[in-house]
Parts: sequence; structure tokens; C-alpha cells
Amino acid sequence: MDRILENFITTLRRSGVRVSVAETMDALRAAELSGYGVRQLLKDFLSASLAKSLPEKEMFESCFRHFFSIDDTFEEDFPAEHDATPPAVQGAAFLTQAFLAGDGGGLTIAFNEAAGRADIGSIQSPTQKGLYTQRIFQELGMDTLNRDIRRLTEEGGQEALAQARFLEIMRDTLIERVRNRIQRQLDLYARQRVDELSEGYMRNMHLSSLDTRDLMRIHVIVQKMVKQLKDRYSRKQKAARRGRLDFKKTLRRSVTYSGLPFDIHWKSKKMDRPDIVAICDVSRSVSNVVRFFLLVVYSLNEVISRIRSFTFCSNLVEVSHLFETYPLQEALAMLKSGAGLPILMNRTDYGSSLCDFMDQYADSLSKSTTVIILGDARNNYWNPRTEVLRSISERCRRLIWLNPETPSLWGSGDSDMKAYLPYCTTARECSTLRHLEKVVEYLLRST
Amino acid sequence: MSVMTEKFSTVERVLLGLKDTGYIATMQIAHTLYLAFHLGKPILVEGPAGVGKTELSKATSSFMGVPLIRLQCYEGLDESKALYEWKYGKQLLYTQLLKDKLNRIIEGETSLAESIDKLHQYDDIFFSPQFLEPRPLLKALQEKDGAVLLVDEVDKSDDEFEAFLLEILSDFQVSIPEIGTIEATSQPFVFLTSNSTRELGEALRRRCLHLYISFPDQALEREIVRTRVPGISEKLTSQLVSFIHQVRKLDIKKLPSVSETIDWAKTLVLLHAEKLDRELVKNTLNTFLKAQEDIRVTEEKLHTLTEHALREAP
Repeated sequence: MDRILENFITTLRRSGVRVSVAETMDALRAAELSGYGVRQLLKDFLSASLAKSLPEKEMFESCFRHFFSIDDTFEEDFPAEHDATPPAVQGAAFLTQAFLAGDGGGLTIAFNEAAGRADIGSIQSPTQKGLYTQRIFQELGMDTLNRDIRRLTEEGGQEALAQARFLEIMRDTLIERVRNRIQRQLDLYARQRVDELSEGYMRNMHLSSLDTRDLMRIHVIVQKMVKQLKDRYSRKQKAARRGRLDFKKTLRRSVTYSGLPFDIHWKSKKMDRPDIVAICDVSRSVSNVVRFFLLVVYSLNEVISRIRSFTFCSNLVEVSHLFETYPLQEALAMLKSGAGLPILMNRTDYGSSLCDFMDQYADSLSKSTTVIILGDARNNYWNPRTEVLRSISERCRRLIWLNPETPSLWGSGDSDMKAYLPYCTTARECSTLRHLEKVVEYLLRST
Repeated sequence: MSVMTEKFSTVERVLLGLKDTGYIATMQIAHTLYLAFHLGKPILVEGPAGVGKTELSKATSSFMGVPLIRLQCYEGLDESKALYEWKYGKQLLYTQLLKDKLNRIIEGETSLAESIDKLHQYDDIFFSPQFLEPRPLLKALQEKDGAVLLVDEVDKSDDEFEAFLLEILSDFQVSIPEIGTIEATSQPFVFLTSNSTRELGEALRRRCLHLYISFPDQALEREIVRTRVPGISEKLTSQLVSFIHQVRKLDIKKLPSVSETIDWAKTLVLLHAEKLDRELVKNTLNTFLKAQEDIRVTEEKLHTLTEHALREAP
């Protein structure tokens, strides 16, 4: 197999482009068709057969640029008219000789070999940059070059000093090249490893400690989960739509046409639509996880058509329309601050919020509705009004309570979780993505 | 060498061939088409709405001289709409019309079992190709001289349909239980287009070559306008393309597509315009902006935009 292509594909894989064996075969055939003569042709061919989405295309672009780059050659550093001065020092280092002789080709080869010997392919994180730089310097014999420069300077004389200055300039260029090379290597290979690490880490991290800049990444993870849920429903929907020939009805109708079946009838199954009501606490006691809660609700909104969302603090308001009109970041900011909503951000009152729900939106509940309540049940010692939750529970198919606190804290202090517990179909702790995954699994199992 | 291989013998030929049909392709598009033909792979075309994804397959079909068969995807699309369906009405009607005939066939038989045996000799006639209604996918396989199959907006279909599509795209054959396997006589050239309303499955992406078309740069778009709107002056072309490119940089809901640029150019030619001016632009904005909000945003900046366009192409 083509060595260059093999290396290139490895590079692509490491930077996060998923390349299958079949695609590798395609790329091989494409490279055969194009050859390595025309850069643009090769690039377009490989891009078409290896990078299969816009983000992948971007990664491909940068990999291709880096991989087939020509930055590491030294030929251009020596202008053609550079007069090759023979080495002035006896027993001079390789670098000194090559620089003074203007041997660009030799330098290029030596540089690449040194990089190979220093094993820079296995660099993993930015903190290792110094280490690998030193290794390459060592392989190249940087210390002997320095020694030569020192000697030339000490020696004095016009020519020797000029040579020393020239060598110093070249040394700086070389150092720059080494740094660039290592940076590029890091860009090429290490990015994905860092990503992988942090995704696993993020799943187990407590939601309150997640940062705003992680929000988009979490959004992607949450979307993946929610999509599974949606797929489950769409399969049912499809079966319902397909329908079958309704033989009985067709025959019955055909009586009108003296037994000829002109009028054909189709049977269709009645389908179970996903129907979710999400009620989310946005008060101060849950302020550190509320962003995540809203994210979950937002993601649900994106994929499920029949969903109504509410947020509450001292009272309860419907917010479904916000999710539909605004992009994620804006919607979250608006909901969290309650700007433009008739919501009272005083002390949390679960009892009256539940009452609000029953008074105004009871019609959104039916025997097929799943109600999801996200909140910590910290009620500031108001009346919990458990009978309202009970009537909600009776009118819906199931009621799921997701609490950011661990079960051992439920019922402690002003938490009314224990009082609400009997009316929940299930109540779970939900403070990491791992927990959320489990909830989604539960939803899937029981639909 | 067959006609088709000849047409695809070099990238330049593909580029010129497409140009003859009125489609100005970038080098990248020509490269991908060339590669797809030689590897026999479908092409998945992505890009913003209105960059000419669907147009590309039309151009390819007329370049290759084969029919274009189009399958528009939507949520709930299934095999019976995409592949084939039995003509139930015809089947039922024929059984009724042939009642007498059937009676005569089983007349001589004495027992029920014998009658059924007799009927069994004929049972397959109602499930023969005459009663088969081919839908786009089957049609594309049956075309003798090949075809261009366009699976439009594949992202609108459901995951199941996508999986089903995989089977056809990898083997170019379908099996119909009552008839058997139907194989493509000549492999169709397949385009799939997507607007990314939904992430497509990895498996589907792997089966296809991928082509991302973005909005053309100014030089290319000028060439497109010149080809599509003969009789337009050089000055006007440069000005209007420069204007459109600025509009695409604005924060608006729907960016003007290439076809809308062409529409606008046609409009301006009809109005005998020689150069852009503010009044003219203001009156014709609705040819390439289709949302009231977008028109409002653009009108606010109309002055600077027009000035800039005039400066760029005096």
C-alpha cells in the first residue's frame, strides 16, 4: 500500500476524521487516478473520498496543508548566488558545515531525520513542547553548533566574525523551524486525544461545575441522547403511516360498482405520539444547574413536536415559544434571567407553581403525557400542596422527577422531596450527564 | 471506448461538457464528478440552499445524455413510494373481469382441492411485471442506457429510509419477493443532496463521495450570470454580483441564492438597466430577498452597499 497515503490517513484519523477501510480503498484508487503531480487534483480527489461532512472538510484542509507542506525545506534559505564558503574551522559540526556550504538539501534531510528520531509523532499535550524541542536540538547537534559559533567569535578577525553572525542568524531560523514543526505536529495529532479525554471527563463532572464554554459540547452530547428517543418514536410513526390494504372495506365499497373494486381503502394504525410536558425550576437554589436543565428541555424541543415547556420560580409560565424563536444561547439567557417573561423571581414556591399549572394548563395533560419535573423541591417552607401533584400524577401517564441533589439530601431542611415522592412514577438524581443518559435509557425502555 | 468513458476521459472535458449545458462548475466539482464516474460511486452534495446542488445533477444528466430521475425525499417516504408498488386496483379489477374465465378453468374439476391445484398453475400472473408500478429507484435501475438518479434532500427522509437506500447504493439491485432480484442493466449515476436539516448517518456518508458546494466567488458568479443571461453588459454584471456578495455578508435570514442572482440579472436586463443605482435596487430587492425582515435590513444599508458595488466596478 501507498506509504504516503497510509501516513496521511493515519494523520486524518488522529485529528478526528473518521476514515473507514472502504474509504481508504477509495482514496487509494483516487490517488492512482490523480497521481501526485497536481496538488489541487490530489486534494479534491482525497477530499471527496475521505472527508464526508463540513467539519471534516475543514479538518481535512488543515491536515492536507500541514501534511503536504513544504515549510520544512531549507533550500530557499540559500539564495542561488550564495557563495559557498568552505568551513573555516577544522572539525566543525555538521550544522556549521551545512550552513556555511549552503547545503539546503542536506539540511532538509537531516532535519526530517532528527524529527523522526526524536519521535515527535507521539507528542500528546502542549506541555511536552519543550521536551521535544530539546530532543530535536540534541539530535541535530545544536550544542556543537553553539560551540563553533563561540569559537569563531573568540577567534576574531573580520571573516570569522561575519561567519559567526551568519551562523547565528541561521541558528535562529532553525530554532523557529523546530518550534513550528512541533506546533504543527501537536495540531495534527494531539487535538483529538485531548477531546476524547475531556468528553469522558465531562460526562462524570457535576453539572454545576461545567463552564459556559463547554455548553455547546454538552449540547451535542445531550442532542445525541435525545435523538435516540426521537428515533424510537419515528419508527412507530412510520409503521402507522404506511397502512395496509383494507380488504373488507374495499369489498364492501365495491358493491356499489357491481362488485368491481374501484374504490380502494387503506387501513392505518392509530399512533402513539410523543407527548411531553417539561416543568423546570429556575430559582436561585438550583441556579448552578439550571442552565443544564434548560439545555435538556431545549434539546427535547428541537426534536419532539408535541412538547410544552414551563419554567417557574414563585409562579409558573409557559416558555415553549421562546425555544422555537430564539437560538440556544439567547433562549437560555432569557430564561435564566426571566427577562420579558411574566415570571416572579422571588422565593421558590412549588405549591403555587403547581397550582398555576393545574389552573391554566391542565388541558395539556392526557393519558399519554409524560411529565418531567426538573427541580430540587426546596420550597422555602411553603405549603408543598402535594394534593396538586397528586392530581397531576393521576391525569398523566407518568411523572418523572429529576433532582440535582443526591437522594440522601432529599427531605433535609426545606426540601419537600419526600412529600412529593409518593406521586412520582420515578424520581432520580440528575446531576451529571451520566445520570441523564440513564434517564433517557429509562424513557426508552418504557415507551 | 464507449461514448460515456470518452466524455469522462479528462477533467477538462467534464468541465467543458458541463459548461455547454450552461452549468459553470468549479474545478472541485469537475474533479469530484470525474472521480465518481471512475469509481462508480454516488456523490453526496451538501451546501447552503441555492448554490445549485439540484442544478448540478440536471446539468450532469444532459451532459451525459441520459434521463434524469428524481426522487424527492420527505418525512415518511417509504419503499412503496420510492421503489415499487403493486397496482392493487388493477389486480382486483382483473380478478373480477376474469371471473368467467376462472370459472371455466375450474369447471371440469370435481373437488375443491383439485380446483385449487388447477388455479395454482396460474397464481403468479397477478404478481408479474405488468402489475408492478415502478417508482423512481426501480426506474433508475431499469433504464437501459443508464440514468442520473437524483435523491433530493435526503436529510428530510427518516433514518429507516436512509438505511434502505444504503442497500441499493452499494449493490444497485433490489429484490422483489414475488418476482426476484432486479439488477441494474447499467449503473445509474447517483446524486444525493442534503441541506443538513438532520445529521446523516455515518454509513451513508461512507458509501458516497462527498462534495461541499459553497457560494461561488465573484469571478465565477459573474461567469454564471454571463452564461445564463445573454445580453447583459459587463459593467452591470460586475456591479450586481458585487452587490449580491455584500448582501450575503449581512446578517439576514435567507441568503440570496445563485438562481436568485440570475433572476435579478434578468429583471435588470428587462428594465434596460445599464448600471445599478439606489432607486433601481430598492425597487427590485424583492427578486432576491424573500423575507420582509431581510428587505428591511438591506434597505437600511442600501446606500453604502450600492456605493461600494459602484466603486468596485465603476
